[in-house]
Amino acid sequence: MSTRGIVFDIQRFSLHDGPGIRTTVFLKGCPLHCTWCSNPESQSPSPQLAFAEHKCSHCLACVGECPHGAHITVRGKHLWDVDRCKGCFACIEACPNGALRRIGKELSVEQVMDVVKRDFLYYEKSGGGMTLSGGEPLMQAEFAEALLRSAHRLGISTAVETAGVLLDPLEQTADAVDLFLLDYKASEEMQHRNHVGTSLFQVLEGLERLATIGARVRLRCPIIPGINDNLEHFCRIAELCREYACIEAVDVLPYHDYGRSKAKEIGKPWLLAQTSVDEETAARWIARLAALGCRNVGLG
Amino acid sequence: MTLESAVDITFTPKNGAEKTARQILEFTRIYLAFGDDAPIERELACLCAQYPAVLLPPQPEDRFVGRVLHAPVGFSPQMGSGFGYYLKEEEFVALLREPELSDELRSRLTVLLDFWRENHTAAKTRRAYSGELAKLLPSDNWNFESGIAFPLYRMAGSTLDYAKLIRLGIGGLRRELEEHMQRKPAGAALYRALVGSIDLLAEVCLWYAEKAQQSDLPADVRAELVRCLLHISEKPPETLHQGLQLCWLYALLSGNANYGRFDRTFVELYAADKAAGLSEESVVALLSSLWRLMAERENGVWMFDSRVIIGGKGRANEAVADRLALLCIEATRRTRLVMPQLSLRFYKGQNPLLYQRALDCISSNNPYPILYNDDVNIPAVAAAFDVSEDEATNYVPFGCGEYVLEHKSFGTPSGVINLLQALLVTLNHGIDPTRRIPMGIPADELPIIDSFESLWDAYRRQVERHVEVLAEQEALEYRIAGQTAPFLYLTLLMDDCLERGKAVFDGGLRYLGGTLETYGNSNTADSLTAIRKLVFQEKRFSLAQLRQMLDANFVGFGRERRLLVQAPKYGNDLDEADEMLVSVDRHVFTVTRNQAQRVGLDSYLVVVINNNANTVMGRYTAASPDGRLAFTPMNNGNAPSSGADTDGITAFLNSIVKPPVSLHAGAVQNIKLSRELFTRNRREVDQLLEVYWEMGGAQAMLNVVSRNELEEALVHPEKYANLIVRVGGYSARFIDLAPDIQQEILARTLY
Repeated sequence: MSTRGIVFDIQRFSLHDGPGIRTTVFLKGCPLHCTWCSNPESQSPSPQLAFAEHKCSHCLACVGECPHGAHITVRGKHLWDVDRCKGCFACIEACPNGALRRIGKELSVEQVMDVVKRDFLYYEKSGGGMTLSGGEPLMQAEFAEALLRSAHRLGISTAVETAGVLLDPLEQTADAVDLFLLDYKASEEMQHRNHVGTSLFQVLEGLERLATIGARVRLRCPIIPGINDNLEHFCRIAELCREYACIEAVDVLPYHDYGRSKAKEIGKPWLLAQTSVDEETAARWIARLAALGCRNVGLG
Repeated sequence: MTLESAVDITFTPKNGAEKTARQILEFTRIYLAFGDDAPIERELACLCAQYPAVLLPPQPEDRFVGRVLHAPVGFSPQMGSGFGYYLKEEEFVALLREPELSDELRSRLTVLLDFWRENHTAAKTRRAYSGELAKLLPSDNWNFESGIAFPLYRMAGSTLDYAKLIRLGIGGLRRELEEHMQRKPAGAALYRALVGSIDLLAEVCLWYAEKAQQSDLPADVRAELVRCLLHISEKPPETLHQGLQLCWLYALLSGNANYGRFDRTFVELYAADKAAGLSEESVVALLSSLWRLMAERENGVWMFDSRVIIGGKGRANEAVADRLALLCIEATRRTRLVMPQLSLRFYKGQNPLLYQRALDCISSNNPYPILYNDDVNIPAVAAAFDVSEDEATNYVPFGCGEYVLEHKSFGTPSGVINLLQALLVTLNHGIDPTRRIPMGIPADELPIIDSFESLWDAYRRQVERHVEVLAEQEALEYRIAGQTAPFLYLTLLMDDCLERGKAVFDGGLRYLGGTLETYGNSNTADSLTAIRKLVFQEKRFSLAQLRQMLDANFVGFGRERRLLVQAPKYGNDLDEADEMLVSVDRHVFTVTRNQAQRVGLDSYLVVVINNNANTVMGRYTAASPDGRLAFTPMNNGNAPSSGADTDGITAFLNSIVKPPVSLHAGAVQNIKLSRELFTRNRREVDQLLEVYWEMGGAQAMLNVVSRNELEEALVHPEKYANLIVRVGGYSARFIDLAPDIQQEILARTLY
């Protein structure tokens, strides 16, 4: 029986998750709860229902299908009570408008690799490969490792986008990972705890271990206006670059609020009021980081 | 009033309308003076009546002479109602309504209109249909009636030996004909007429020299033009300007609108000019002027043709030809016109600058050049046409993408088949679901459909029967063309005609082939995939229930429609769906290819091309089992159905290289790329395309646009006058397109 895992998307021709042309496999589940998370639907480890309200025609076809009473009628209009939803997905087919969809599907390593290997020629041509992303892909450690090793066996280069806080899987998979895309999100402990949901020291420990192993690392830095777009944080990023020779490059990920609508679809509150960052601001940040001495700063 | 009295031309026209009327009367009078038993003499006399009468003087910015507007009645390989002696009925009717026209002339013209309605060559072709042809091809109205198969009337896609014209010049051609005449007295009548056509060309040169002299062109341009025209009226051209001028006039007189391997044809003249110190800037200016004449020819009517081919294997003096090709790209980049349809052939080992410049041009809001991969196409053409690779080296795409062997073969598409309609009629037991009338093969002649295999079998029989009659139609059309006229200007510059002493469609041409346009291939395959999965494998509903949903255009069946839409679709690198498309294609390709010998053609091949027929025929095609709503567009060329390719561009490219390339005469691939991707990730786009070519990609029509731009153009058309988009096998200004075609383009996946 092959290892199976919960995948919520496989994106081909992905250009922003590592070098070249890549296929990014998004694994579900994350131990963190970043307030700006661009994939809020990735956080829960289980498959879940998403409801795109704007597609709903209030035909109420789903109401009768739900054994748990999660789809209800209020004054002739359809409402989805997320707390009652058990994720049985009986309602999806009933909806003629495609307003209901399932996020997360259990797939075997072979099923995933069958898609990934189809773009082998593009990887070869461009120096690309497979990237595992999430969520935190190492949360499904066994599955992630099996995917990475399978890719290597097929001669496909690998990258893992990780928060770096799950230390054991980090070390265990490291020899099957050609590049770590390591998130670095805040430089101040309280802020890190508040906005990311864990201690900064865990992240730094992850970086330390990767350095010890001799892994290749790109630092991925989401920059959120009003939260971490400050000089202290930028200086700290530059400092890390000086301290750790394994950091090959720094990718700036300017905040965008695409996560907002996705959060709404899974009935999750969205706490940030910021709007997406414009190109000029992002270019300014990149220039500043470069001036501070960061290596190979670019847009991620 | 008798016809004979109607054609009296002893009057002096007082205005433009009367002048046109006189042209029609004169042309008809000449036509009537010869019987059907003197087709050669009749054509020559008619050509002399037509030219220079329909030619127009140069406009102030022109660097060449040669503008034309054909009369409502005339002679051409492809015009108005069809081919040969044609009728442009709408223009004729409009002329009758002209207030400037005297009542007496109007009534005479009315008699002529009735005559030409009956006697234009396409009408004669239709009248020659046997019972079976008339039964399965009941209508010519492919653009406003539902139907499985329709004939098309035209002798489209001539490609001429312009290199020979340049080498010999008018005088040299005349001498060659005289030699032939002495050697083969049996062909004397034809050779004599060919000499006559050459004399007419010389006369047109001199006529234009006079017009140029009288024009208000700038003095230097005027002087050069007059010199040029006097020279080429007899001698072989010695400069690029002279060569282009001669070939352009020949193109106008012959009705040829696909200009062949341009850099190959003109390389020697360009080399001579270059050696004499002509700057590249001057060449670009010349080419730009010619490009404008191509675009404005006959008021822009040739947008489905106007191919100019550059690059590729088999060009002598390749380094110089490459320079000229680069200048062609530059002229296209600067003029940004919908014509000519500049097409770059390339191969591994060709100067990479050509390909790179081509992509640069494409990125500058220009759908040209269209890209053709020689490494795939040459062996494919050799196999499909059953010729040597050496001969296949001179393949050229014409029109919307049909391949022919330059000046060696003809391949006019004289039929269309709507595969999706064939499937829908089959599913409906021989009834057209759009008009509720019997159509195609009667149900009792088809197997009972109770399994996927029997459905597939019935569909195939439906298609096969129609392909058979379309092949017969193609052969018949050539036969009528051959009987009607020698098509002198084509005969003169197409291979083997002079040696054989026979006219192009009367046994003269080396390879007489035909092509068949198929539409709805992807929708048909996706429909079959959905039926197999949902009806026969998963048994979600029965065929009868499916028919009910389709009849209702899915109203009340939203849930079922979603299942159909979500069934695997071609274009996502899914074997289940892609293999079905390959089966559908392979079937119709093979059946078509197998007709050639039976009907007496050298080849008969499918072309998966596209003008806008996917949208136009879609307007009359009912809802289909792939979830497509009634009367909406079908897929474009070899592309997936609009919006069905959801798994990214690598999946898309992997899919589109799966259909076989060696069984047809060209398939077009529209790829809509976002400006953001193209500019920000040019390196990856280059790599992506490289893989596509290496995997066996034969052709690509890249269009770089932004979604925002297209949407804005719908709201503020006035601001987007220059937004050129690739529709199918042709390009157009986005704002000029019909609303449903605009929507179809918007709905295509933007990568």
